[in-house]
Amino acid sequence: MRRPLNCRALWLMVMAMNSVPSTARPFTAAGFRRGFIAALPFIISNGIAGAVMGVAYRGLGLGFGASVLFSTVVYSATAQAVTLGLWALPPPVAAMMLACAATNARYLVMSAHLRQLFPDMPRRLMLPILLILGDASWLMTVAEAEKGRRDAGYLLGSSVPMAIGWIGGTALGYATPLTPHGPVAIAAAFLPLAFIASLLPTQWRGLRSLLPWTIAAIVGVAVAGTLGQSWAMLIGGGVGTLASALRGDDV
Amino acid sequence: MSDWPVYAAILAVGIAAYAMRAGGFLAIGAMPQTGLVPRLLRLAPGNLFVAFAAAGILEGGWPSLIGCAGAVAAMAATKKEWAALAAGFAGAAIAASLL
Repeated sequence: MRRPLNCRALWLMVMAMNSVPSTARPFTAAGFRRGFIAALPFIISNGIAGAVMGVAYRGLGLGFGASVLFSTVVYSATAQAVTLGLWALPPPVAAMMLACAATNARYLVMSAHLRQLFPDMPRRLMLPILLILGDASWLMTVAEAEKGRRDAGYLLGSSVPMAIGWIGGTALGYATPLTPHGPVAIAAAFLPLAFIASLLPTQWRGLRSLLPWTIAAIVGVAVAGTLGQSWAMLIGGGVGTLASALRGDDV
Repeated sequence: MSDWPVYAAILAVGIAAYAMRAGGFLAIGAMPQTGLVPRLLRLAPGNLFVAFAAAGILEGGWPSLIGCAGAVAAMAATKKEWAALAAGFAGAAIAASLL
């Protein structure tokens, strides 16, 4: 769930794959068990990152219930870190929704591929599973299908430990009896930004990223100084994205 | 202040998140497979993150700048998110205590 994929690799992967033929039941309990066991380590890794998010939410002044709800219904480190950076009272809802959609647009591609993979899965079963769709569980499920083990049970099974880790980690992090002061408090407030900064190397496309990223940064800073932080990412990132597309950085 | 605007905002963001998760599954036939839209989708994340980071550094000053540098360096070296978060946290804390 947490670590976004290299989008180019993801896209190429999706474009290269054809629909997997329906050869067996699309959802099995055995698949659920296999997926659950395979994803158990994510309880720890997602739990650590979720705990960081919980600490950040508490530092922001959100209540425990609101913090856990955030990690439950949004369930995306990227989107949560970005919306955390935009947080204000009253919350800038439109900007936050737009930012969430922009940072999570990759899920459109991933769930479209799941439709190709599981054309025989009823929507009433698949749509609830998609609530906890994550990058890693999608990748694991696609890899299983390529081995001839197409199973939406595996998707659900691998998604559950990831969700337990993330949501449980948020709750534990929030409840941790630590009250940072001084430099540690400043560093704790920095953590949402650290989430985003840590993703930058995964998006780097070599030197061709330099110019559009510079443009994005300059416009972002200019917008932050005029229209405010809420719009800096969307406008700066939008201009940078257009520059990338016009230069053909993805071809 | 009542908490309902907070919960409403969280639910609104949750709806946006779920729309992305379910949207491709529900509307695969309507999604363009080639052209400008898919190109923008795959080019957008890096640019959005850079603009977000730049604005955040502007607001947070030296601790944020040094923390970001630490997080990026650690992620590039280790490819481990937890290591990047730890390095960013440490860098920001040290910078805040020294600067």
